[in-house]
Amino acid sequence: MPFEGFGSHGLHLPISRRQALMKSAAGFGSLALASLLTESPRAAPAAGSVDPLAPRAPHHPARAKRVIFLFMSGGPSQVDTFDFKPLLTRDNGNPLPFDKPKIQFNSTGNLLKSPWEFQQHGASGLWVSELFPNLARRVDDLCMVHSVYGTNPAHGGAVMKLHTGSDNFIRPSLGSWVSYGLGTENGNLPAFVTICPTLAFGGINNWSSAFLPAAYQGTPLGNASIASDQARVKYIANSRLSREMQRLQLDRLYALNREHQARTAIEDSLEARINSFELAFRMQSELPKIEDLSGESAATHALYGLDNPVTANFGRMCLMARRFAESGVRFIQVTHNDNKVQWDQHADLKDGHEKNAREVDLPIAGLLYDLKARGLLDDTLVWWGGEFGRTPTAEGNNGRDHNPDGFTMWLAGGGAKGGLRYGSTDDYGYFAAENKVHIHDLHATILDLLGLDHERLTYRYAGRDFRLTDVEGNVVRELYA
Amino acid sequence: MMIYVLLCAVLAADDPVRIQPPAAEQVRFFETSVRPVLVEHCVACHGPKKQWARLRLDSREALLRGGDTGAAVVPGKPDESLLIRAVQHTDDDLKMPKEGKLSDRQIADLVRWVETGVAFPETPTAGRPSRDPNHWAFQPPIDPPVPAVTNSDWPQSPVDRFILAKLEAAGLPPTEKADKRTLIRRVTFDLTGLPPTPAEIDAFLADSAADAYAKLVDRLLDSTAYGERWGRHWLDVARYADSNGLDENVAHGNAWRYRDYVVEAFNRDKPFDRFIVEQLAGDLLPAADEAQRHEQLIATGFISIGPKVLAEVNEPKMRMDIVDEQLDTVGRVFLAMTLGCARCHDHKFDPIGTDDYYGLAGIFKSTRTMDTYIKVAKWHENELPSAATTALRAEYEARLGAKRQAIADFVAEADKQVRANLGPEAEPAENLATLYPDATKADLTKHRDELTALEKSPPDYPAAMGVTDDQVIDVAIHVRGNPLKLGEVVPRHTPPVVRGAHISQFTPAESGRRQLALWLIDPEHPLTARVIVNRVWRWHFGKGLVRTIDNFGLLGEAPSHPELLDWLARQFVAGGWSFKTLHRLILNSSVYQQSSSPSAEIAARDPENRLFGRASVRRLDAEEVRDALLAVSGQLDATVGGSLLKVKNRGYLFDHTSIDLTDYTSRRRSLYLPVIRNNVYDLFQLLDFPDPAVPNGDRAMTTVAPQALLMLNSDLVMQSADDFAGRLFAEPGNDEQRLSRMYVFAYGREATPRERESGHAFLAQVDRALTATEPDAARRRRQSWNVLCQVVVAANEFIYIQ
Repeated sequence: MPFEGFGSHGLHLPISRRQALMKSAAGFGSLALASLLTESPRAAPAAGSVDPLAPRAPHHPARAKRVIFLFMSGGPSQVDTFDFKPLLTRDNGNPLPFDKPKIQFNSTGNLLKSPWEFQQHGASGLWVSELFPNLARRVDDLCMVHSVYGTNPAHGGAVMKLHTGSDNFIRPSLGSWVSYGLGTENGNLPAFVTICPTLAFGGINNWSSAFLPAAYQGTPLGNASIASDQARVKYIANSRLSREMQRLQLDRLYALNREHQARTAIEDSLEARINSFELAFRMQSELPKIEDLSGESAATHALYGLDNPVTANFGRMCLMARRFAESGVRFIQVTHNDNKVQWDQHADLKDGHEKNAREVDLPIAGLLYDLKARGLLDDTLVWWGGEFGRTPTAEGNNGRDHNPDGFTMWLAGGGAKGGLRYGSTDDYGYFAAENKVHIHDLHATILDLLGLDHERLTYRYAGRDFRLTDVEGNVVRELYA
Repeated sequence: MMIYVLLCAVLAADDPVRIQPPAAEQVRFFETSVRPVLVEHCVACHGPKKQWARLRLDSREALLRGGDTGAAVVPGKPDESLLIRAVQHTDDDLKMPKEGKLSDRQIADLVRWVETGVAFPETPTAGRPSRDPNHWAFQPPIDPPVPAVTNSDWPQSPVDRFILAKLEAAGLPPTEKADKRTLIRRVTFDLTGLPPTPAEIDAFLADSAADAYAKLVDRLLDSTAYGERWGRHWLDVARYADSNGLDENVAHGNAWRYRDYVVEAFNRDKPFDRFIVEQLAGDLLPAADEAQRHEQLIATGFISIGPKVLAEVNEPKMRMDIVDEQLDTVGRVFLAMTLGCARCHDHKFDPIGTDDYYGLAGIFKSTRTMDTYIKVAKWHENELPSAATTALRAEYEARLGAKRQAIADFVAEADKQVRANLGPEAEPAENLATLYPDATKADLTKHRDELTALEKSPPDYPAAMGVTDDQVIDVAIHVRGNPLKLGEVVPRHTPPVVRGAHISQFTPAESGRRQLALWLIDPEHPLTARVIVNRVWRWHFGKGLVRTIDNFGLLGEAPSHPELLDWLARQFVAGGWSFKTLHRLILNSSVYQQSSSPSAEIAARDPENRLFGRASVRRLDAEEVRDALLAVSGQLDATVGGSLLKVKNRGYLFDHTSIDLTDYTSRRRSLYLPVIRNNVYDLFQLLDFPDPAVPNGDRAMTTVAPQALLMLNSDLVMQSADDFAGRLFAEPGNDEQRLSRMYVFAYGREATPRERESGHAFLAQVDRALTATEPDAARRRRQSWNVLCQVVVAANEFIYIQ
């Protein structure tokens, strides 16, 4: 009897696929084949039939087909960006009139008003601070969730919780779960890419597939220490050999492998590995095409701020994200991180947040505009936020500490309701108060928008059915358009 | 989905009498979201022990019956259910639970539960098959007779008889023996992780003695490379890493000592029982001399090298997270059981309760792993005292003393000068230093800065990550795993479901690690020997006799050959827990020496090779791929032991800058490359190196396109190809001779005439393609060879072992 304990699959794939998924993982797409030669033909059916990344039908009709996650590393301050708190301004310098959380990262003093003015914008009248003048013009596309909360007040735990749903175990990341659930629409590209991710605070675990098959892991382009125009997939190009020469090599390799296969009489063959070279060769030409932005118009370059050194680095990531989205990549993450943990203003709030906002405001507004103009925003879910927010109380006299207890994230497109203001924090913006949305709830909601039921998207590992939301998670349907 | 909706509708119907088993989804929801809330917040006062208001909330009937104020729930009608009104604080005189309102989510879950019909399956108590204490793995191994077989020619060892008996029962003959070239390549990679050299192949082919193969096995077992290969297998299960990973990715600057200890243990064939005791309790063992003391201290690195959330702000949680990691590791490594589940609730499938979990947790809570828990927390290291260390310390302290004395002298002299200048009558100032001339002040500051610098940089006294005993305590059950919610204190104990081994007595004098180890190595322990012989079998054959290598629990798979598993376990223990004896037993068998090309009948009837009626083809592991590339290109540096980590102990491998401080340019064997959690060397990542944060005795085997990119474009492969070609050109000869040597080096065999022919043709083709860019014919020829060598090492024959 075949052992079903390991590869059991919430999507009810046929057994052969389950088994193949467990060991094969044919890379980015098309080919496949269980690679373990020692496995049976039953476990390794004909090439093509077990592609772990073939597009798959969702559990229920999807509102979004793909996700662009704009990760603001370090934790932007909700009370200085989107969560307007008049009482914080009024009571500036007074003590917080209620208890701070039992567990804090650092200790903070009295209330600190935002150095920035807020105004209402658009038909929806959502509040946006003067940090985001360009994004303010797109508020009617934004679905503001003011009552997000997490559990971990340190970067490491919070970043991992945000990406994987767990802050102390190694678990598959959200992008991997999405790739596992839906596959990809472009077999020549990875299903899940992450542009300039930070290598700290969990590093690769934030885009790894953990116990899911390797085909679902995220593919990084560079990392946060590399400028986005230098960010590449590892080993994607050959520094010495021409494409023509590599073609000669591949043809010779193909012949060698076929002869070997004939001699060893292994019926399952090393087909998967043979094909993987062909796919790699195609990827080699496909990926640089997406990374090459020279074909985009001057207007587009300006739209994303590529013509300005302040916005060019992040703008390029946003434009690449749009191009990946267009090409059928399922989950695209863009990370805004510099060598000081970008949004982590324990001190120097004024200059720090101003610099950070200036770098991302125009590119994000450009991305939303561009997606909409191309009709992509309808089925692309854009998700913005950091691993936590910041305290309304002061750290020093010009800083704010980590605050996982209440902060703002926003969604746009992909079935999220534009112009919505959902949930709230208390009068000072410290704790999520009304309609609280835990990170798990947000994960459940994102999966649900993609047509996946977070309770049914499971994978059996080490004797247990795991899921992204563990035993938590409520879908917040109030956010839907 | 539709079915789910319908079931919900059915269950929501207002019909309390209908007894219908709840749908699986309902049960799951109840077990994950409702029962925990009831157990944690309600049942203490409304359950088997107390029945306040004559109400119990521990069964569906009890809920429907209710208490003094009526039924607790009305299925389908949360608004009419007192339980819901109580938790929602709807009425002022009925607010539950007493200790504080439930979270919004918990309340919402209870509402949903009532809405959908109050599914309440019976408590999964012991005795249900899923927690069967009579499960095979918990019973001591039997001493099975070696079975009789019809084909008496084939078996060379008792192992073969166990295998053949099953094959014969299935009516299948075993596969014929592999040829000698295949055998030497297979067994050399298997035992050393390296390809056989042409000279070794020739010697084996030339040896026509009957015991040529047995001698080959002995030679390989005696080589240093054996420990480097098999030690690495152990490091997989020991979740070895040179950095912490998780949130604060700092260097385990001394972890390499544990790695070298493991390699040495395998090379010296340290008995496995001794190996276990040293790793769990080496610090508590007597030592004959300094070297043994060091070795035993280093061995306890096993307990300490797991990943830790070092910036966890909640200290009790950090402590228990570390204990949990250690406990779960010990469970998976030695017992092949997932004990971690029982941190929050009784194990769902295995008969391990939370009391068993906390009985073991006490052992590790009584063990000192950390020196501080304040972020960023610091792990403990045991100094390795020696005469050299003592001398080093004395020398350092002498330097400190000298510097302090020099400052005192300087101050005394400066004071004297000041006093002299002030004259004898002057009132002495409070602090004469304020009156020093500027130059003197500057000099003093300089001296003091030098002292501070010296104080801050003591010499690196040799130390090893490891543990020692802490205050010995028994631990209370943490309700739902919450360190702030403590239940009953549980005396330290080993899980009673594991039968056969004598029960250790835990005393207030010791943490209990030694007793835990002694329990594990009891010859009658049902798991320890079975688990390790199964691992060894897996590492030789690619699959275990129990295929779920790290899970022998109820969700694990039953053994395909239970008698063989028990026989091997018994032999292993009787043979003094010797790995090398076990290897000989397995490798000298006919089953190991079969060809990997099975008959059509075997292939069709046993496609998964469950009966071991042929050899399994295997892809080289990540380390083997790299080592083989370096070996055939003549670049492998065979230096043994030591550290290649470029970051100092506790320094950040990766901080917020994301700047990569790792360096993998060494030509040493892959075993010695630093294992950096969160950012494992990309070549290793691509080739299925296991996640070094968790024990793994069963590496995955994937084939993905990025692996092909690595072979096509990476510096390592390109450079190795060039070096390989260089090696072929280093000896005089023509292309024909080079082609011949290339095949011997790369594949351990001669090229066929057809391969020579196509090799020549390819070289000519590449040569033509290069003409435009490289006018020099000799250089062009050499480049053509680089291009060819890359193809040869990228080919399947290089990467797969028959």
